[in-house]
Amino acid sequence: MTRTLVGVALVLAASTAGYAQAGAAAPTARVEVEVGGGVFGGARLGARDANLRSNAQAPQPYRLFTADSRLASTPSLRLRTAVPLGRRLAIEGGLTWGRPEIRTSLTADAEGAASITSVERIDQYAFDVSLVWMLDALRVGERLLPFVSGGGGYLRQLHEGRTLVEHGQVYRAGGGVRYRLMVRPEGFVRSMGLRADALVEVLRGGIAFEDRPRSHAAISGGLYVGF
Amino acid sequence: MKWAALALVAVLALVQPTEAYLHFTTTRGGQSVTLKWQRSPVRWFARDRGAPGVPATEFQAALARAFATWEAVPTASIAFQFAGFTGAEPFDDDGASVVGFQNHPAMDRVLGATGFLIDTVTGEILESDIFFNTALPWSTAPSGDPTAFDLESVAVHEVGHLLGLGHSALGETEPRPDGGRRVLASGSVMFPISFGRGVTHDRVLQPDDIAGVSELYPDGGFGRATGLARGRVTRNGSGVFGAHVTAFNPATGQIVAGFTLNRDGDFQIAGLAPGPHVIRVEPLDDADAESFFSRRDPVDAGFQPTFHPRLFVAPAGGPGERLTVAVTPR
Repeated sequence: MTRTLVGVALVLAASTAGYAQAGAAAPTARVEVEVGGGVFGGARLGARDANLRSNAQAPQPYRLFTADSRLASTPSLRLRTAVPLGRRLAIEGGLTWGRPEIRTSLTADAEGAASITSVERIDQYAFDVSLVWMLDALRVGERLLPFVSGGGGYLRQLHEGRTLVEHGQVYRAGGGVRYRLMVRPEGFVRSMGLRADALVEVLRGGIAFEDRPRSHAAISGGLYVGF
Repeated sequence: MKWAALALVAVLALVQPTEAYLHFTTTRGGQSVTLKWQRSPVRWFARDRGAPGVPATEFQAALARAFATWEAVPTASIAFQFAGFTGAEPFDDDGASVVGFQNHPAMDRVLGATGFLIDTVTGEILESDIFFNTALPWSTAPSGDPTAFDLESVAVHEVGHLLGLGHSALGETEPRPDGGRRVLASGSVMFPISFGRGVTHDRVLQPDDIAGVSELYPDGGFGRATGLARGRVTRNGSGVFGAHVTAFNPATGQIVAGFTLNRDGDFQIAGLAPGPHVIRVEPLDDADAESFFSRRDPVDAGFQPTFHPRLFVAPAGGPGERLTVAVTPR
């Protein structure tokens, strides 16, 4: 699997100039692979009343009940491949997978049905491409390097039992830090470290009960290896 | 071939009850046969007699709009043709489908009714007549007349019956002091109780009506584009007959409903837009049960309205996961 990712990343590589993480005098990795996990912060899907038509000459709704839905917070798994484009800039592609629940609160029933939260679990995949800018001026010591990133990609959501697939887009912006554990001038593995991200993601399309983008926070962390 | 006249009193009364879509059926050799037109276009005649405030030409125009409303459903294939004015009366078994005014002062809560002549072997509808009761005031005013019932709205309901649709229970009512029930709200043209005087909402079909007619006369990829909810309603492990099951789509706001139609509590709701739905079950208590089912089949209305704890996902074509909704006694 790692070999495949490396191969794909090498095709994408437009530059083999090094990462700022390694420092000006340090050797550089040509491609970096990261495996990690995180938390998808959850997103509001929208509220809507189940309305009938009132017995009045002017149109006005009669609420049967209210449904308020959100995509719940959930752990996620993230795979990422990065290729440097310059000393401070890199492009990276990632896959994030999670299994959030759609949680719909059903309240205010006109006939007194007990309020409940109706749920469904989905599989959610986000394939994204981002640009990462290393903030070399903010480096802390030799090992800790902050960065900012932003990008977008494709959102694929599969309903439970794979009865239906929904498609959308994901846009992400945020930043984080990289903590270098190891770097060496040659060899197959040239660097290794930890990375933590904090992001704001905006989802468009996919499962949505209102026709507007939904934003949520996400955090992730993982181990990267440079080759 | 045995011919039989089956009078289905499809009443759109001032004070009567309601439900979500049903199809008319008859029983042959123990098997249920759905009643429907098998030839299209369906030819209809207008009685050449008006009513106070509604001359025959306006009556015909309002009926033509009502037929056109059903014909315009993109996922259904039925078509109609106006065959002319006639002196024949509705409910004469003459092979001609006639719509017209009649005076029935004894039926002072009945706005209109639809009757059929059917082939009891095939379920084919051969003739269907509609009368509108002149014991009650009528209007064809474009915005409605607060002193009279909107003819076009009631006609859309009765033409739904003419197509083979039964009553829908998608509505809420309250008891009236003089008996009967007053409608508070409705989510289907096929709700058995009419809106009040001057209200014209039922000129426009609702998702429940569209699902019902599209399942009966499917066209335009209806089966491929929409999903089907199937399942069972139980109480203490036993099936519940006559429970009203609604499917609400939080993305579109559409509500389509159905009933449990046997003692096992099985239900089926077609015409659902792909995506998650809230499933809600309620007892049939907003109308007389006879508006939906025969007296031989007493419905179970002794349970609490209940939401299913899981969202139902309608696929694009075919049935989704089978549901079981457990309800508790009142």
